[in-house]
Amino acid sequence: MTPNTIKRINWAGGIVTVLTVVIAVIWAFPLYWGIISSLKPENEVVRPYIELWPDTLTFEHYWFALTETQIGTWYINSIVTSLGVTVLTVSTSMFAGYALSQLRFPGRTVLWWLILASFMVPTQVLIINHFVLMANMSLLNSWAGIILPQLIHPVIIIVYKQFFDQVPKDYREAAAMDNASEWNVLFKIYIPMNWGVTTALSIVTFIWAWNAFLWPFLAVTRTEMMTITVGITQVFDAFGVYYARQLSAAVLAGVPVALAYLLFQRRVTQAITLSAGIKG
Amino acid sequence: MSDIVLNSVSKSFGGVRVIDGISLDVPSGEFVVFLGPSGSGKSTLLRMIAGLETIDEGSLTIGGKRSEHLAPGQRDVAMVFQNYALYPHMTVRDNMAFGLKNIRMDKAQIARRVQDAARILEMDALLDRRPAQLSGGQRQRVAIGRAIVKEPAAFLFDEPLSNLDAALRVRTRVELAELHQRMQSTMIYVTHDQTEAMTLADRIVILNNCRIEQIGSPMDVYLKPASRFVAGFVGSPGMNFIKAELSGEGEQQVATLGNGSKVALQIDLPPGTYELGIRPEAVQVSQTPAATTGKAAVVERLGDRTLVHLHLDDGSALVALDSGRSQIRSGDTVHLDFDTTQLHLFDADGIAHHAK
Repeated sequence: MTPNTIKRINWAGGIVTVLTVVIAVIWAFPLYWGIISSLKPENEVVRPYIELWPDTLTFEHYWFALTETQIGTWYINSIVTSLGVTVLTVSTSMFAGYALSQLRFPGRTVLWWLILASFMVPTQVLIINHFVLMANMSLLNSWAGIILPQLIHPVIIIVYKQFFDQVPKDYREAAAMDNASEWNVLFKIYIPMNWGVTTALSIVTFIWAWNAFLWPFLAVTRTEMMTITVGITQVFDAFGVYYARQLSAAVLAGVPVALAYLLFQRRVTQAITLSAGIKG
Repeated sequence: MSDIVLNSVSKSFGGVRVIDGISLDVPSGEFVVFLGPSGSGKSTLLRMIAGLETIDEGSLTIGGKRSEHLAPGQRDVAMVFQNYALYPHMTVRDNMAFGLKNIRMDKAQIARRVQDAARILEMDALLDRRPAQLSGGQRQRVAIGRAIVKEPAAFLFDEPLSNLDAALRVRTRVELAELHQRMQSTMIYVTHDQTEAMTLADRIVILNNCRIEQIGSPMDVYLKPASRFVAGFVGSPGMNFIKAELSGEGEQQVATLGNGSKVALQIDLPPGTYELGIRPEAVQVSQTPAATTGKAAVVERLGDRTLVHLHLDDGSALVALDSGRSQIRSGDTVHLDFDTTQLHLFDADGIAHHAK
């Protein structure tokens, strides 16, 4: 390597680093702005110029969100519905993925194409149908009503199928020689061999469900049934909207997701790669 | 332990016949090796016995019980896979116990069987490890252990040594032979390696083109191959084949080789053109002038013996065996003596006729 090439590489590396930092700052700024604003008194928030640090640091908005709103109930609603969506979506997708990958039954290919096709249908298109359906079933304003329409995640079935396809067929045959039932093949061999995928998909589904807004917003009108994302919209009083209060509620809503992300960082990244690229 | 009887079994994959009306009787306690080149159907035949492939036609009886419609786990056979197929997330102990748990065997009995198998295979110390923490040879043992704990009527081995390095393969081969002697179980073993077949088998079943070419003891197959295919496939270095013209009367015949040299032999065949087969060890280098001479092209010194690759005058190739201290060098003219009792003639259909 000549000194020239070293110089060139350093330049390129430097430019990439600077660009990455700039983009990261642009991405992170709203988050920073939200947190910092939630720590300012309301009169500082509405000042018409940018202040990167509060003159007066206050936790009053957090106190307000925690004591004057139903945030505790919203947290519970969010936890229950997100866990419900996660457990049901992952378990049903696991079964579906296994069946599509390992079992031979009439209509399998058609079913597979249908699932692939449904992947192309955006949830928003179905939302009116979902609403009517849930209303007819008297499930609006209930946990079930929030959970059920969110169970449609073809991408998770697709990821599972891909993973089960990659398990060498020797294992299946060894299990057949070992007298294993289909149930045991799935639960004792295929799932444990793919634990990484299951945890990754569970975390990412949980985060999706936790962050869901549109459907819970439509499905729930009663304050005590709201999830935390919908609950944020309720942080106002007779005198209108208080930005800092809303932002403090939003920050509180984001805390569990942030924690989940910090704890399972590697798995989340893996899951996002899996579901976005469908593993190439 | 029990007999395995295959009666005219056939199998096709999408219109392509892969097993064509094979009948075979494996008596209890016998070590049978299915030997054949790739695509000969040997693995398919083994998998049909295991139940991993369906049997399209014919019947299969294991221990007197019709088995062709039974699920693999219900046939009372255990299989050792080429890639071992050890469950990576389970310990060695769990790998071995999995099949027994599935039939809801009592825990104490499972523990006892696993211990017994571990003792037989000398792997007590490995029981709590996972497959990833084992060497190739150890994995191989676990795979065999997983079969042993089932105490099956028969063991089925699908090329179990092909993933081991050469030295380990030889050692494991001997261990397998010992295991068979100790357990006296029926074993069916698939390989394309004729050394494995020769060393392990009570009987070798040679498969070619979806059919059985020959069934016999290793020495039978080696000394009296039934066909041109078997003669060429078994033995290393392989048998020499030379075009020969047979003439004479009764059993006293003379084979004239392409280079004009004549070999007298006793065989009951009508005159005509045949392919003459002779193993390298039956072609001896003579110190005195002999009827057949050739030119040494390549001399392979293997230490205990020397393989001399020769060309006869007409260009036909021949391998002769000489002692380890052979003085022959490439380019030398070599005189050859044929052991005429070890000559084979193959007719146009490839059927073998052996000299007396």
